Amino acid sequence: MKILTTIKKVVDVELNINVENGAIIEDGLQYVMNAWDENAVETAVQLKEKNKAETTLVNIGSGDDNTKIIRKGFAMGIDNAIQIDDPALENSDPSIYARIIQKVYENGEYDLIITGKQAQDTDSGQTGIILAEFLGLPCVSNIIDIEAVGDQHIKVSRLGDAGTEILELELPAVVTVSDGINEPRLPAMRGIMMAKKKKINVMDLAGLGTSWEELGGGSPQSEITEFLKSETRQAGQKFEGDAAEITAKVVDLLANEAKVI
Amino acid sequence: MTKILVIADIKDGVLKGSTKELLSKAKAIGAETAVAAIGSNIESLSADLANAGSDTQYIADDADLELFTAGPFASCVVDAAKLFEADLIWFGFSETGKAVAPRVAAKIDAACASDITDIEIDGGQITITRPAIANKVMQKIKINTKQLVAVVRAGAFEADPGISGSENVVKLSAPEPDLKAVIKEVVSDASGEIDLGDADIVISVGRGTKDQAGIDLVKGLADDLGAGFGSSRAMVDAGLLAQNKQVGQTGKIVAPNLYMAMGISGAIQHLAGMTGSKTILAVNKDPEAPIFNVADYGIVGDLFEVVPILREEIKKIKG
Ligand SMILES: Cc1cc2nc3c(=O)[nH]c(=O)nc-3n(C[C@H](O)[C@H](O)[C@H](O)COP(=O)(O)OP(=O)(O)OC[C@H]3O[C@@H](n4cnc5c(N)ncnc54)[C@H](O)[C@@H]3O)c2cc1C
Repeated sequence: MKILTTIKKVVDVELNINVENGAIIEDGLQYVMNAWDENAVETAVQLKEKNKAETTLVNIGSGDDNTKIIRKGFAMGIDNAIQIDDPALENSDPSIYARIIQKVYENGEYDLIITGKQAQDTDSGQTGIILAEFLGLPCVSNIIDIEAVGDQHIKVSRLGDAGTEILELELPAVVTVSDGINEPRLPAMRGIMMAKKKKINVMDLAGLGTSWEELGGGSPQSEITEFLKSETRQAGQKFEGDAAEITAKVVDLLANEAKVI
Repeated sequence: MTKILVIADIKDGVLKGSTKELLSKAKAIGAETAVAAIGSNIESLSADLANAGSDTQYIADDADLELFTAGPFASCVVDAAKLFEADLIWFGFSETGKAVAPRVAAKIDAACASDITDIEIDGGQITITRPAIANKVMQKIKINTKQLVAVVRAGAFEADPGISGSENVVKLSAPEPDLKAVIKEVVSDASGEIDLGDADIVISVGRGTKDQAGIDLVKGLADDLGAGFGSSRAMVDAGLLAQNKQVGQTGKIVAPNLYMAMGISGAIQHLAGMTGSKTILAVNKDPEAPIFNVADYGIVGDLFEVVPILREEIKKIKG
C-alpha cells in the first residue's frame, strides 16, 4: 500500500495570539505541526507497521519551521517527503491546497490519502474532503479507527451524529482523522538522528507540473480580509470558603440573578 | 432576492432546533427560504419544516438514506440547490454538515465556509465572520464566488418564535448509492440520552471527577436537572466516557443556557466548545484554573463535597 499524508505548519495555539489593525501580530509566535496531522502521520506509520506500506508526506510551504515538522514526520517513521515550495502560495484558500495535493497524488499513484480532520490555524476542515471530491475518490471524514481489509479495501469508524458509523471503502480513498484515532508517538532518539539525514524532495509549482493560474490562484474563492479579536468572556464572581455557604449562594444566584434553573 | 437553502437537521425522525435558527436568520436578512430534508421516513415532517420558516421543502425520502453517508447526502443537497437556484446553502453545526458542506461546495464550484457566526450581504457581495485558531481570533472572509456553502456555528443565530413559512413540498429523487464507501452499521451509544445540542443545561465532567464514582455523582445532578451530560477530552482519553460526550474543539460545540464545568481546567480546546453558553458555572479546587476566567459563577472547592450540596440546594428551590 502507498500512503500519502499531508502535514501543515500551524501557529502554536497554546501561546497568546494578538490582533492589531486587522492582522495577527506575528512577533513571538511559534509554529508546530498541526495536531491532527500528527494523528494522520501516526495513522500512516501504524498502517505501515501492520501491513507493509510505503509512507510519503506532503507539505506545502517553506522555511525552517516547515523543515522542522517534516523532520518530525520522518522521525515518527514516514519514509519520503515532498515539499511544495513556491512564493505564489502565500495565503491560498482550501481549494487551492486541495488542487496542489491533487497534483501530488496524480504524480504518485497512492492507495490512501490521510489528512488531519482540520488545521488548528483555520479550523476549516475542508481540504481533505474537497480533495477527495476533485479526485472522485471515496472519502470518510472524522475517523477514529482504520484497518486494512485485504489489498483493496479499508474499514473505518467515523464519529457521526447518530453514533459511530462503520464503513468499508474501496481504495484508493481519502480519510480525515480525528484526534481520537490514536496517540501520536514521541519520536525516539534514533528516529530523530535518522530524520536529519533524510532527503526532502522540494519542488515548486512548475516542478509539480502545474502553475498558479492552473490552480485557480488568480481568482481565489475566498479571501481573509481582516482578523478581529475574539469577544472574550469576562470572569464573573468566584467564591471561596465554606463549601455549604458558597454553594448555597451560587444556587441562589443561578436561580434569581441568571435565572437559569 | 437572495435565496437561502437550509439543510434540515433531523435526528431520530425529529427536526432539530437549529433548522429554525438558520431559517430565522435567513428571513431576517430578507431572503427567500427553502429547506432540504434528507433521510428515511421523513415525509411527515413537511409541516414542521414549513413551521420552522421555509417556503419550499425539498424532501429526499428513501430507505437507502436511513444510514448517513456523505456522498449520497451531498448529491441530494446539490439537487435541491439547483432546483431552488440557491445562492446560499446553510448547514447547522453537526458532523453531517461538516462532512457534506465541502463536498457540495466542490461539486457546484462554490466557496465553503465552516463555523460561521455572522454573514453580511451587501449588493451581492457576501462577507462572513468566523472564529479561527481555537476561537482565539475572528476572521472576516470575503467570498468571491456567487454561491456560498456554509456551516453555521452552534448558537450563532437565534430562533425567532414569530416566523412561519408555507407548505410547498418538492420531492427529490433518491440518490445513487456510493458503492465505494459503503456504510455497514451505526453503533449508537447515546440512545435515550439527552442530546447535548438541544439541552437547556449541559453539565460536563473533567479529570477532577477522577473515576466512575465521580461521574455517577455528577450524573445524579444532571438527572435532577434534566441536563445533557458532557465531558472534557481527559475523561474520554481515560476511557471513562464515550467520544460523543466530548465538548470542545474536536467534540461538540454547545451553547446552552447554563453550562456547568465540574473539575475541568479550561484548556482552550475545551473552551472552544462551550464559551457560547449563556451562563457558565465552574467548580474547581484550583483557584487559578483558567476555567474561572470564562465562568460567570465560580466555586473554588472539592467537587466531591460541592456536588451533593448543589443537589440539595437545587432541590430546595425546585421543590
Ligand atoms: C488538537 C487537540 C484537540 C483537543 N480537543 C479537545 C476537546 O475537544 N475537548 C477537550 O475538553 N479537550 C480537548 N483537548 C485537550 C485539552 O487540551 C485538555 O488536555 C483537556 O481539555 C483537559 O481536560 P480536563 O480539564 O478534564 O483535565 P485537566 O486539565 O487535568 O484538569 C483537571 C482539573 O480538575 C481540577 N480538579 C482536580 N480534582 C478536583 C476536585 N476534587 N474538585 C474540583 N476540581 C478538581 C484540577 O484543579 C484541574 O483544573 C484537545 C487537545 C488537542 C491538542
